[in-house]
Amino acid sequence: MLQYLANGVVVGAIIAVAAIGLTLVYSILRLTNFAHGDFITLGAYTALFLNLGLGWRPAAALPLAFVAGAAVAVGLEFVVWRKMRQMRAGAVALIVASIGVALALRNGLVFFVGPSPQTFQQPVQRAVPFLGLPVTLTPDQRFALIASVVLVFGVHLLLRYTTLGKTMRALSDNTDLAWVSGINVDRIVIWTWIIGGGLAALGGVLYGMTRPLYPELGWHLLLPLFAAIILGGIGSPYGAIAGGFLIGIVQEVSIYFGVPVEYKIAVGFVAMIAALLLFPRGLFGEASYK
Amino acid sequence: MSSSLLYVINVVTTATVYAIFVLGLNLQFGFTGILNFGHVAFMAIAAYASVLLSLAGWPLIAAAAAGILLAGAASLLIGLPALRLREDYLAITTIGFAETVRIIINNEVELTRGPQGIFRFPIPFESWGLTPLGWRVAFMILCLVAMLAVYLILQRLTRSPWGRVLKAIREDEDAAIALGKNTRVFKLWSLALGSAIAGLAGILLAYLLSYINPREFLPLTTFTGWMIMVLGGAGSNLGVMVGSLLYFGLFSLTRPLESSGLLALGLTGQQVGALRIFLIGVFLVVLMMYRPQGLFGRKEELSLDR
Repeated sequence: MLQYLANGVVVGAIIAVAAIGLTLVYSILRLTNFAHGDFITLGAYTALFLNLGLGWRPAAALPLAFVAGAAVAVGLEFVVWRKMRQMRAGAVALIVASIGVALALRNGLVFFVGPSPQTFQQPVQRAVPFLGLPVTLTPDQRFALIASVVLVFGVHLLLRYTTLGKTMRALSDNTDLAWVSGINVDRIVIWTWIIGGGLAALGGVLYGMTRPLYPELGWHLLLPLFAAIILGGIGSPYGAIAGGFLIGIVQEVSIYFGVPVEYKIAVGFVAMIAALLLFPRGLFGEASYK
Repeated sequence: MSSSLLYVINVVTTATVYAIFVLGLNLQFGFTGILNFGHVAFMAIAAYASVLLSLAGWPLIAAAAAGILLAGAASLLIGLPALRLREDYLAITTIGFAETVRIIINNEVELTRGPQGIFRFPIPFESWGLTPLGWRVAFMILCLVAMLAVYLILQRLTRSPWGRVLKAIREDEDAAIALGKNTRVFKLWSLALGSAIAGLAGILLAYLLSYINPREFLPLTTFTGWMIMVLGGAGSNLGVMVGSLLYFGLFSLTRPLESSGLLALGLTGQQVGALRIFLIGVFLVVLMMYRPQGLFGRKEELSLDR
C-alpha cells in the first residue's frame, strides 16, 4: 500500500508539473488547450533523441527539452492563437482548433519516429529505500520526484514574488483591467506559453524516466491532466498542483485495491466526474457550472 | 471494372454511414449547442451491443433496436451529471467518457474479445444468396434509406416547436429558461436522440466492416465527425450530408495518388497514414481560423463565434 502511495506521489508530481501550464494557459488565454499533452510528448522525445543519438543522460536533456517545448508553444501562439484572439474566436472554435493542433503535432511526430514505444538507453537501476521509509524508488524515480517538487516550488516563487508572476495573476483575474493598467498583454501571453510549454516538456522527460515513451503518451496523459486541473479548480495553479498529486495517488493506489492497471485512465476520469459533482468549483477554483 | 465499381460503392456507403453519425452530432451541437466530443462512444456501445445480442441468437432487427436504445440510454448516464457543465468541461468529460468506454471494451475480453475484435456475426441480407457485389449494392441502398429516414425525421423535428426550443437554447439558454422552458429536459432529449442516431451509424459500420474491434472507435472518429460537421456547416442537416460525401470523396480521389506517389517517394504506409491525420489537423485549424461557420454554414444562422 505504502509503495503504491509512493509511486502515486511520483506520478502525481509529474502530472502537477505538466498541469500547471495547462491551467495557466486556460486562465490567461481562456483556451482549453487539447494540444497541451503533445508538449509533454515533444519534451520526452527531445530527450530521447539526445539520449539515443548523442548518449546524453535524460536529466542532462532537461534544459533543451524545456527550450523545445517552449519554442513550439510560442511558435503556435504566433501562427494560430494570436490571430484567433484578434478575430475574437469563441470557446468552441478554440477547442476545435486546439484539437487540430494536437492531431498535427502528434502525427507530425509519428511521421518521423513511428508509433512504437521506446525507452531511454541507460544502465538498469535498482530500487532503493527512500528516506528510510518502507518504500523503494529507483534513482530516476527519486530524481523525478525531487525535480518536480523543485519545479513546482519555483513556479510558486515566480507567481508570488516576481513582477512577471504578479502580472500573470492580474491578467488571469481580469484581462481588460490588466490591459488598461498598461500591461503588455501579448508579452505576458508569450511568457505564459514559454512557462507552460516548457514545464509540460520537462514533465514529459521526467515521465519518460519512469515509463516507456510512445507518440500518444501526451494524449493519454491529457485526461489525467484535465482531471487534475478540474479537481483543483480550473485556472488555479495551486489547484493544479494539488489535483495533480491527488490524481496520481488515486490512480496508483487503485491498483492496490484490485483495479486492473489498464483502467488507470478510467480511474482518473471517474475521479474527475466525482470531483465535478462533489466540488463543482474545484478545490480552489471558479464555478464549473454555467 | 467491377473492382472500381466496388470501390465507388464502398466510398458511398462509408460516406453515408458517417453522414448518419454526423447528423446525430449536428442535432446535439449544430441545433442545441451541446459540445459532445465523445460521440464515438455511442457508436461503439450500439455496435457491440447489437453484434453481441445477435450472436446470442436475437433477430437482427431486435438486436439493432436494442443497440440503438442502449446508446441513447448511455448518453443519459453521462448527460445527467455533465450537461450542466460549461462548454470546456463538457468537452473534456465527454472525451473522458468515450475513452473509458473504449478501455472497457478493450479489456473486458470475456464479453467483447478485447483487442482481438469480433469476426463473423450475422449481417443483413445474408440469406438472400447475393453475390459479393450484389450484397454491397443492397447494403449501400439500406444505408442510403436509413440516412434519408434520419434526415427526414430530423428535418421535421428541428422545424417543429421542439426544434425551435433547441435553437433557442443554442442561442441563449438563459433566455429560454426565462421563457419557462425546462432546458435541461430538452438538452437531455437532444443528446439522447443524437446518440441513438450515432448508435445506428455504429451498427451499420459493424455490418459494413463485418468485424468490430476497439481500434475502430478511437477519439479520431469523433474528431473526423466534427470535421465533417464544420465542413458542411453546423446547423444544416443537408450541409453535413454533403460534407460527408465531400470528405470521403476527396479521400478516395487522393488515395490512389497517395499510394503510388508517396510510396514511390520512399514513405512507409504508416508515414502516409500519419501525414493524412496531420493534414486533417491542419485543416481543422485553418477552418477555425478563417471560416468557423464551415464551408456551407451561414454566419447569421450559426457560427462558432461565441
